[in-house]
Amino acid sequence: MALFRRTLPASAPADQPLSVHDRTAAFLMPVRRRRLDIVTPEGVQLHVELGDFGERAAAFLIDVVLIIVINIVLIAAAVLVAGVSLRARLAISLTILIGFLVRSLYFVRFELAWRGVTPGKRLIGLRVIDRRGGPLLPSAVITRNVTREVETFLPLLALLGARASGTWGAIGLFLWLLLLAGVPLVTRNRTRVGDLLAGTVVITVPRRVLSADLIEIRSEYSFTDRQLRAYGAFELQILEEVLRRPASAETSSLYTDVCGRICSRIEWPEPVPPHACGQFLRAFYMAQRAHLEREQLFGRAKESKEELIL
Amino acid sequence: MVGASGPVTRMRAPHDGGHRQSPWPFLMSEPAPLTLKSSTFRQQREANWQALETLVARADRRGVTALSAEDLARLPLLYRAALSSLSVARAIALDRHLLLYLEDLALRAFFVVYAPRRSWLASCGHFLRVGFPAAAKAARWHILAALVCVLAGTAAGFVLASHDEAWVTALIPAGMAAGRGPGSTRQDLLQHEIFAPWPGWSDSFGVFATFLFEHNTMVGIYCLSLGIAGGLPTAALMLYQGLIFGAFLALHADRGLLIDCLGWVSIHGVTEFGAIIICGAGGFLMGEKLLAPGRYTRADSLAMHGETISRLAVGGMLLFLLAACLEGGLRQLVASTPWRFVIGFGTGAAWITYLAAPRRSLAR
Repeated sequence: MALFRRTLPASAPADQPLSVHDRTAAFLMPVRRRRLDIVTPEGVQLHVELGDFGERAAAFLIDVVLIIVINIVLIAAAVLVAGVSLRARLAISLTILIGFLVRSLYFVRFELAWRGVTPGKRLIGLRVIDRRGGPLLPSAVITRNVTREVETFLPLLALLGARASGTWGAIGLFLWLLLLAGVPLVTRNRTRVGDLLAGTVVITVPRRVLSADLIEIRSEYSFTDRQLRAYGAFELQILEEVLRRPASAETSSLYTDVCGRICSRIEWPEPVPPHACGQFLRAFYMAQRAHLEREQLFGRAKESKEELIL
Repeated sequence: MVGASGPVTRMRAPHDGGHRQSPWPFLMSEPAPLTLKSSTFRQQREANWQALETLVARADRRGVTALSAEDLARLPLLYRAALSSLSVARAIALDRHLLLYLEDLALRAFFVVYAPRRSWLASCGHFLRVGFPAAAKAARWHILAALVCVLAGTAAGFVLASHDEAWVTALIPAGMAAGRGPGSTRQDLLQHEIFAPWPGWSDSFGVFATFLFEHNTMVGIYCLSLGIAGGLPTAALMLYQGLIFGAFLALHADRGLLIDCLGWVSIHGVTEFGAIIICGAGGFLMGEKLLAPGRYTRADSLAMHGETISRLAVGGMLLFLLAACLEGGLRQLVASTPWRFVIGFGTGAAWITYLAAPRRSLAR
């Protein structure tokens, strides 16, 4: 029985070369989220990005606030129905019962009915999924939420209600809370203990809209093959990112800068006036993309300007 | 698979058509219009992507049931078409935003298409019919180990407290003893505990509701969750529960009340100890899978048995709930020892039959 055994990370090994898209993403956003790959039953690999600690904490806080509101409403309703004659012990019992039912049913209900999303997670853009990409089963949802009860709610309530036996008990509960809250910071897939047991991960689901194609039918500039051979796919994607920036004074100055660099590299004969830079870059993007696509069809994909293709 | 293969076969049509309209492009004065294969690829599929996006957004907002039958039939076709677009785009696209959009769309559609199909009520029914008994069977050795722990603790507690009643105060926490101890007389125990009068509905409900924070429920939850520490703390907790019970029995046995006390406890105790044992079994299972993951990583090993563990946890909670009902409702209402034994043994037999009886649905 190997108690302490090193295991290989599930993510891509470090020696595998980065794809162009990964390289662009790394260039544009140096701090990257952790990724996980799942394979659909159709055999297509999909990349999911894991939700980070702050997002999860924020979603949880929103949910807790909602739970408290629901609790207050229900208890107020119960008091109204029963009248003032409710005895103290009974009222406390009722509060505890309602609290337990609301907070345990809240998470389970939403994560089942909304397929891994609670109101807090929806606001932040998070979702619970099966770690391997299978369907999110009811048992997994129940597991991760039963564990949440032990991880957070019971010790928290005990701490708040001073049910702990003395100072040492309170310190113990506080350490327990701190320790378990820190678990997502150290686990590989940013999972808490409940996720580990249920085999789930929490991911972010960004909503990207389809932005317009940068290709127009006509172009006023034409470039020679020799000029287009100066750059590769990586530079093309960075140029795409530049062209998709919203219009502003900063963007215009960026255009002028990029335009100057490109002109000097491809030895463009006449200087481009500042107001025409955007148009020139667009034309260059189109011509460059058409060129790279054509070359790709002939099996001569070029990844970046450093690469030489003979 | 009309949806998936349709766009692919139509892919080249406009491109070819464009050439046919101008037979001698080299004679024309202005440069030929720029046609990129990737642009054409996008133009031909864009409508399908947008349609899929609308469907997915609607399903995300209002659930899959909000889609019409026609939309439901289109959804998987559009999804597969989007996946095929994604594969093509990964191979050829130089347009980064297009690829990101497709990755995102495919992922969101994947979650809608491969959503769990069982409803909330059906999964509750499935848990009761199949899930809980199956988990109990899978963890039978762990249940046995937990039972042995409790029995050993009970025997030790009984022996200790029969020799010296000081052990009773040492072992039983003050909150739980509620005034019972070496100073209690036979009469006290009979009148205020074993045959105490029925307190009425509202107090019974109080007992029922506070079960959630009652000592035993907390013990059950800790037994289960301390499995993450390897199962040893679970064993210690189970032993301690046995010790308390043993000391308690010894206190009554000394005053000639052993049989009455057992009857008084059995009415809900059979269910409650069953719940603690099942929670403890969950803790043992968790500890075992964590310490000896076999061929798998620890996370994988835990996740593989997570379903069984969670079923034991939920089953244990259910038993605690029932025990609270029995305790609040029946314990003081039935004031005769033989009938108490009938109920106690009856519930025990019912649980064993429910959990251990062979079932056809399990064999499948």
